[in-house]
Amino acid sequence: MANEFILEMNHITKLYGSNAVLKDVSLKIRPGEIHALLGENGAGKSTLMNVLFGMPVIHTTGGFEGEVLFDGEKVEISSPMSAMEKGIGMVHQEFMLIPGFSVTDNIKLNREITRPWLVSKVLGKDLEFLDTKTMARDARKALDDVGMSIEEYTLVSGLPVGHMQFIEIAREIDKSGMKLLVFDEPTAVLTESEAQQLLDVMKSIAAKGIAIIFITHRLDEVMNAADTITILRDGQLVSSFDKSSITPEDIAALMIGRSDEDGMVRVEKRTEPVGDTVAMSISDLWVNMPGEVDKGINLTVREGEILGIGGLAGQGKLGIPNGVMGLYEAAGDVEFYGQKLPLGDAGAVLRSGLAMVSEDRRGVGLLLDQSIENNIAFTAMQVNGDFMKGFLHQKDTGAIRRYAEEMIKELDIRCTSPAQPVGTLSGGNQQKVCVARALAMKPRFLFVSEPTRGIDIGAKQLVLETLVRLNRETGMTIVMVSSELQELRSVCDRIAIVAEGKVVDILKTDASDTAFGLAMSGVKSKEGVGE
Amino acid sequence: MSEKVKEKSGIRSRIVPLILLVMAGVLLVLSVVGFVLQGTQETTQSLGQMQTSAVLHAASEGLINNIAQQARADKLAELRKDKNFRKRGLDEVNSICDAAMEEARAEAEKLYANPVVQDQAALDSAIQTFEKALSESSSLSVTERAAYAEIYVQLVDNISDWKAIAGESVADADVLASLQSTAPDLAKEANAHLGSALVRMARDQAAAQQTAEEAELKNQLINLLASDVPSWTEYIGLEEDALWEKLLQEVPGLEKGEAFRGDLLKKAAEHIAAAEKGETLPPPAEADEGADTVFETQADYSYFTPTAALEKEEAEKNDAYEQLNTQLVAVIPDLGGLSEKLQASLRGNIEKVLWMEDNSFSSRFHTYQQHKAEITSGAWKMNLASLATPLLLAGIAVLLLGLVILFWKPLTGRFGVPRTIIALFFVYLCLLAEFYNISVRMMMGNVLERMTMYGVLVLAMMPGIQCGIGLNMGITIGCISGLLGIVTALQFDLVGFPALACSCVLGALVALPLGWCYAKLLNRMKGNEMTISTYVGFSFVSLMCIGWMMLPFNNPRIIWLLMGKGLRVTHSLLGSFAHLLDNFLAFKIFGIKVPTGGLLFLALCCLLVWLFSRSRLGIAMTAAGSNPRFAEASGINVNRMRTVGTVLSTVIAAVGIVIYSQAFGYAQLYTAPRQLGFIAASAILIGGATVSKAKVSHVIIGVFLFEGVLVFGQQIANSVVAGGGLSEVMRIMISNGIILYALTQSGGGRRA
Repeated sequence: MANEFILEMNHITKLYGSNAVLKDVSLKIRPGEIHALLGENGAGKSTLMNVLFGMPVIHTTGGFEGEVLFDGEKVEISSPMSAMEKGIGMVHQEFMLIPGFSVTDNIKLNREITRPWLVSKVLGKDLEFLDTKTMARDARKALDDVGMSIEEYTLVSGLPVGHMQFIEIAREIDKSGMKLLVFDEPTAVLTESEAQQLLDVMKSIAAKGIAIIFITHRLDEVMNAADTITILRDGQLVSSFDKSSITPEDIAALMIGRSDEDGMVRVEKRTEPVGDTVAMSISDLWVNMPGEVDKGINLTVREGEILGIGGLAGQGKLGIPNGVMGLYEAAGDVEFYGQKLPLGDAGAVLRSGLAMVSEDRRGVGLLLDQSIENNIAFTAMQVNGDFMKGFLHQKDTGAIRRYAEEMIKELDIRCTSPAQPVGTLSGGNQQKVCVARALAMKPRFLFVSEPTRGIDIGAKQLVLETLVRLNRETGMTIVMVSSELQELRSVCDRIAIVAEGKVVDILKTDASDTAFGLAMSGVKSKEGVGE
Repeated sequence: MSEKVKEKSGIRSRIVPLILLVMAGVLLVLSVVGFVLQGTQETTQSLGQMQTSAVLHAASEGLINNIAQQARADKLAELRKDKNFRKRGLDEVNSICDAAMEEARAEAEKLYANPVVQDQAALDSAIQTFEKALSESSSLSVTERAAYAEIYVQLVDNISDWKAIAGESVADADVLASLQSTAPDLAKEANAHLGSALVRMARDQAAAQQTAEEAELKNQLINLLASDVPSWTEYIGLEEDALWEKLLQEVPGLEKGEAFRGDLLKKAAEHIAAAEKGETLPPPAEADEGADTVFETQADYSYFTPTAALEKEEAEKNDAYEQLNTQLVAVIPDLGGLSEKLQASLRGNIEKVLWMEDNSFSSRFHTYQQHKAEITSGAWKMNLASLATPLLLAGIAVLLLGLVILFWKPLTGRFGVPRTIIALFFVYLCLLAEFYNISVRMMMGNVLERMTMYGVLVLAMMPGIQCGIGLNMGITIGCISGLLGIVTALQFDLVGFPALACSCVLGALVALPLGWCYAKLLNRMKGNEMTISTYVGFSFVSLMCIGWMMLPFNNPRIIWLLMGKGLRVTHSLLGSFAHLLDNFLAFKIFGIKVPTGGLLFLALCCLLVWLFSRSRLGIAMTAAGSNPRFAEASGINVNRMRTVGTVLSTVIAAVGIVIYSQAFGYAQLYTAPRQLGFIAASAILIGGATVSKAKVSHVIIGVFLFEGVLVFGQQIANSVVAGGGLSEVMRIMISNGIILYALTQSGGGRRA
């Protein structure tokens, strides 16, 4: 082989507006190797792959800087179609299969083998017959290659999820001239034995000389299958090395590691230690929240503490507050000061003294076309019957106005008046209104879900400071869910890390990056504080 | 650079409104000049001269025309007497007659065409005296006729009461007392002279009703004869008396027809004759239903008698004309020698010149001009003065247009595009009405009346929008519940406030479970509510078309008379609770009739809905409608809130249709309520509501604008395009156009 590298991506920089999501990233892959691409959510893995496949989202936002060499030649990949023609394939995380078609049809879709006959010779290629026998033979071969014993003529619709993943792979390797395959978190939906089978398939594909880019969060799989590893963090290349030269602990540290100052928020330190009273104990909580499924959460929250819940996106950390507050279907036992909470009954949960600031601010958190004051007073009015007067149970506009003005002052909500519709406020001020609405209920226990998502630094600081002050002054127990680990580390007393729908570990804020990185990948480290 | 571009485009975008404002200014200044000119001595004098000239022209030309026509007629009569008349062809007769006419005209023109006025002052004063007498007696006549018409309408409202009395009482005094008790205005001294006329009318009506009733009874009996005897063969050969006896035994209810025994026996004989031949006669055609329930509210002036005062005025008018006549004799030679008929026609011509309904400068000017009056001096001044009012209206119109374009952004931002356009359109219609001399005040009275009619129905849309089901086209379900309440009240012969209350309460009670089921259905169809509610509304109307036939109502006043079952289509509420609310505390101000009771009731309903929307439940409902996930997160049962809103909407609609019917005077069943959902929806949309947000103010503004545009639009269409057919088409176009526009713009009021 003439070239050492099948793919070289050199000095790739991609800007979305003024925001750089990839900064001078380079990636080199040899033929026949399995190259693991690692990084947290938002590290830039997907953007890099979008660049590789020439996705429209890249071109419509101004293209990218840097060059791509494929098989030693400089290439312009303008569309996913041209990527496919060059021999780059992708195994999608979401299955792109047609349920009503057979396995063969799906594998051969848009690449059907046909044979001509009389009419097609006159009227063109579109009317040729399908050569079903050859197609079935090809499909059989591809299925055998991925170690699947299912019949090639079964319909996809009835197959288990794991099988679909393999059909997806079979389709890619059936393409002739395939040189590079990208696996985007292929094991996320597989059982342990299926995952092992998949890794074996990957190895056998690689043995045929096809290079593989393997995107995953599971470090054990990386150590098992990968030859080389590239780690991205915040859009920058951290490092690139052979597997043999590194341990999982190092990888975890490199994925998380930031300088201490970066992203930290300074808050008042706790003066008195948290007591031992249990405010909430969650045992075996299952939550069916789309994209954030929980499968048996066990967690204890002590009165007066700020507990952080971290983890990668899609692993189930958001399911915990939403499940407890009754916004999504949930099962399990949640006890609040010894009382069992009725799961699924938001009203009853709110009445027992819990409140929540939702991560979906515009969808769940606010009535966008209503005024600030109405938003703040709404839940307290509905749940506790506050802000009402008279025998006709009319809303007490005076009391609402007074309370809203107090809150606007306290939380520094920037607005023209309490009557301004919240839809016209900025994201940070909307978040403050959400916090004010939760506080209006005078809760003993507050869930705060992604409080700093999509708001600017100043507002971020203010929101977090407010939460800490509430905790210190009123002793309100706070559970804060966030994707920003630094934020959790600066505010919380303990941090629970959720991966794959379970609490992997509970760590102190000063635990090492390695411990956090491992926990996010689903591995419990020695540093865990436990319950 | 970009700022410069902006500035330029800013100026360009303001050019149009600025031009419009300048135009408006010019028009307004011209109109002010016109109004000033109207008051100057010069124009007044000129107008006086025009008047004299017009009178003389009308007199002489009318005279010449009449003489010529008379000559033609005389010649024709002369020819007819001739024995050879039939032998002549039509063309020949015509040419002979025309020749005679031309000859007479030429002669008359020589005599009358150029009247020479000698005593100008005396002629002028005679004309003015006659004009004054004319206008005075006419105004008296107009007021008397108006009083008559008003009392007539009051009586028609209670027609069943006094017709019965007129039918039974012998003495006119009793009938008059009865009429006075139902129409208090009749008891006023000023209207005393109308009493006898109305008594006469009552007697005629009572007689007419009795005839109608007898005819109907006879018709029914004939139907009974046809249907209750299956075979007539056994009656063949019977004597009349024996046959009658047999029929009385056989046909129940026939004994009521003793009076029509002859007719009925004749019919029976026909059946027997048919049976002899082995045939059966078809039952006679059914009489037109409902003909006796609808009364004309147009006053019947054939009963009208003038007062002594009016007669005195008439006499004065005649005296004044005598004076004028002497003057005219001096001017037009040989006038005294003309026939009486010609003299009378002369008077008619002059009256047309001198008397007009609207005595303003411009209408006088135009009337005189029509009669070929010469403008002696200052022609442009006269023209400008006569155009003052149209200029003023045009000026206001252009000014408004300019202002609206200039402040387009802030206006539409505040009120939304549809509301701005419709409001502007409404103002233009008012200006047009003024231009066409349509009484804006009367129209306003109409608009108020229709507001009370539709207000509650439109209000019913509000809870639906608030709770998140969008435009509730299914308010027809509530409407049908209300109609059930009304027919139940009619079934038990309830009258007045008890009938109204019973209809409302019963309607609401029926609407409760129906609305609940409807809400359950809508909760299973989230996202498609508009379509579902439209179809449910339509199919419920159709289902009830069967229902109205099947329900066991049996009061003869409301069922099909001949079938003996099934409800009629139209039920007059006269004598039950028609206009009950509208007439409650009603008063007149500036000539506008204010239906106080109806407006108060609408206000009460609005207040209740407003209070509800500020209560805990109402706030929860609104939140569930505007953001269901938010509401759920606050522990609110969204489905329950939607149910509350839907049931509320249905119940309000039930009350709404009762109010609608009382204002309309009739309750209409079967397919009549089908379109009500669309009307209510477009009204509230015009008011500024969207499919997801509505307030009480939207209801009130919407119903005012919608009904205003409809009432004015129809009336103006009637005056622009004469003839009833086309104006009906215009009416449909206007009302449906508004609906279409409002639906396409339904997002217009949304905040940016």
